Amino acid sequence: MKGTTWIGWGAVLMAAGALAGCRGSSENIHPDPGASVQPKEIEIALVTKAMDSEFWLVMADGAKAAAAARPGVKLSIVAPDREINIDQQVTILEDQTRKGVKALVVSPAGSAQILSALEQATQRGVPVILVDTDAPFDKKVTYIGTNNRRGGQLAAKGLAEAIGSAHAEVALISGVPGNESQDERALGFIDAVASEYPNLKLVAQQPGNSERALGLTVMENILTAHPNVKGVFATNDQMALGAMEALEARGLRGKVKIVGFDATKEAVQATVDGRLAGSVAQNPFLMGQRGVEAALAALDGKPVEKRIDTGTELVTAANAAKYLK
Amino acid sequence: MSRSPWWQQLAPLLGLFLLCLVLSLASPHFLTVDNLLNVLRQSAINAILALGQLVVIITAGIDLSIGSVVGLTIVVLTLLMRHGVPVLLAAAVALALGTAIGLINGLLLTRLRLPHPFISTLGTLNVARGAALLLAGGVPISGLPPGFREVVAGSLLGVPMPVVIAALAYLVMHVFLGRTVYGRDLYAIGGNREAARLCGIPVDRRLNLAYALSGASAGLAAIVLAARMNSGFPLAGTGAELDAIAAVIIGGASFFGGVGTVGGTLIGALIIGFLRNGLNLLDVSAFWQMIVIGVVIVVAVWIDVLRQRVGRTA
Repeated sequence: MKGTTWIGWGAVLMAAGALAGCRGSSENIHPDPGASVQPKEIEIALVTKAMDSEFWLVMADGAKAAAAARPGVKLSIVAPDREINIDQQVTILEDQTRKGVKALVVSPAGSAQILSALEQATQRGVPVILVDTDAPFDKKVTYIGTNNRRGGQLAAKGLAEAIGSAHAEVALISGVPGNESQDERALGFIDAVASEYPNLKLVAQQPGNSERALGLTVMENILTAHPNVKGVFATNDQMALGAMEALEARGLRGKVKIVGFDATKEAVQATVDGRLAGSVAQNPFLMGQRGVEAALAALDGKPVEKRIDTGTELVTAANAAKYLK
Repeated sequence: MSRSPWWQQLAPLLGLFLLCLVLSLASPHFLTVDNLLNVLRQSAINAILALGQLVVIITAGIDLSIGSVVGLTIVVLTLLMRHGVPVLLAAAVALALGTAIGLINGLLLTRLRLPHPFISTLGTLNVARGAALLLAGGVPISGLPPGFREVVAGSLLGVPMPVVIAALAYLVMHVFLGRTVYGRDLYAIGGNREAARLCGIPVDRRLNLAYALSGASAGLAAIVLAARMNSGFPLAGTGAELDAIAAVIIGGASFFGGVGTVGGTLIGALIIGFLRNGLNLLDVSAFWQMIVIGVVIVVAVWIDVLRQRVGRTA
């Protein structure tokens, strides 16, 4: 039975490991049952799809700014380790609800999959605010995000300005068919080109599935079929950068204008360097900020608009500096 | 050879107990009936997957494909239901499909003589995931009959249904591994395959059975997951095999085969579930959680190594 000594040690180590992790980033340990006597703080959780890109970090900054603006608000920011871990987001939402947060600000990793977790929250009287990605959830307080259709229209405007008044053929590289935000961008672009810019003619539309490598091959195909194309809108920056490589390989740098979407650092730098005509920026900071503000308003019983547009801005060489900070 | 002594399960049990103690001190929200039921419900799917994984690990094998099998079966299950196939029939098809893919894993090993199940199941991991994405066209499948979620993700006398389903599966597997000749054969094969063969055990047939059971557990997990998510999605179960393997190993099973119990695996799955839940309640980031769970896996296996060393010298 010597073994049990070792087992005991091992178990203690295990618990110590767990504790070490807890101490790592938690600020709110109340082992004292009398903690509820303290002045009440309002705890709100921001649950994003992941925390692995600039977009989410900026959103978190916006949420922190809104939380800091009101005393007594404690903000927890949690996310699955990857965007595709939808079940992990469901678990997080369930656990945050059990923890007694007063409101949830959520960017759904899967709009259909997390509905029952959101339902559980509202059943417990926790208001749910959706940011960045909408979900068919009737009881949400509001959806706060980019109006992607308007973003597509803005892309058309940017492309038209880059091309000038001459007659020109343009092409569209879209995302995974069925992805709502990507489809909306494409539709906004198509509408605007048809109705507002009679000198532009849309000659090709092909999906590039939001992937850089596909953006490149799709651009090559478009150039083969339509060698006179003078402008391209890609519904995300990855595809825009892929298309840019295809054009530059054919010596068409600057001759064919490209507009992307998302204003990633890489795309903004390419814009400054004159390789892209521009990129449509979303405003994740505002999403986080408005999300927490809407949560507080809901808790105060104040009315909140059902749909809040956080706006889009066309980033060109002229205003790129502030996006490169 | 087949059953390990009772104290082998003491390490994971003690670990689970200490973990709960620490978490209930650290968070006032941890030790509530509501939260404990919540953890059980969240752990049910991993626990079911771990059960299948246990069977193959007992034979000194491994099944990397179960996460992808969950993805494929959840897509088939939800597509069938959305096209009006009765829920029970769709669920039976999902179970059969999981079992069939598991059987293919077994046959790749026993008929094609692929050198290690790591390779055969790595192959089916990719095939099943690709098939799931093709079938679903890359998008989630929703609009399931409302009764499905209410029953499978609902509760029975206050106990969440996923927990009831997992408990039944554990009971059946406990009897299967401990009280039937099939179970004894599997331990014998894992302990020493050549000796088992010489004893007249039909090794290939038993291995096929083990992998088929692993596939079946993935099919069952897919049914529960579909109800919990009220939809099917082709990326469901991505990486789930790793949590299942972790539960089995933390639960005291040996990668060298022949050792491992249903009870230990249950404790292993609960340790992972409670750890995740506790860290979530404490707002520990997902990145830290990965580190903690990684440390727990290493420590658990280290205990196993120490125990064997002590056992040899004592």
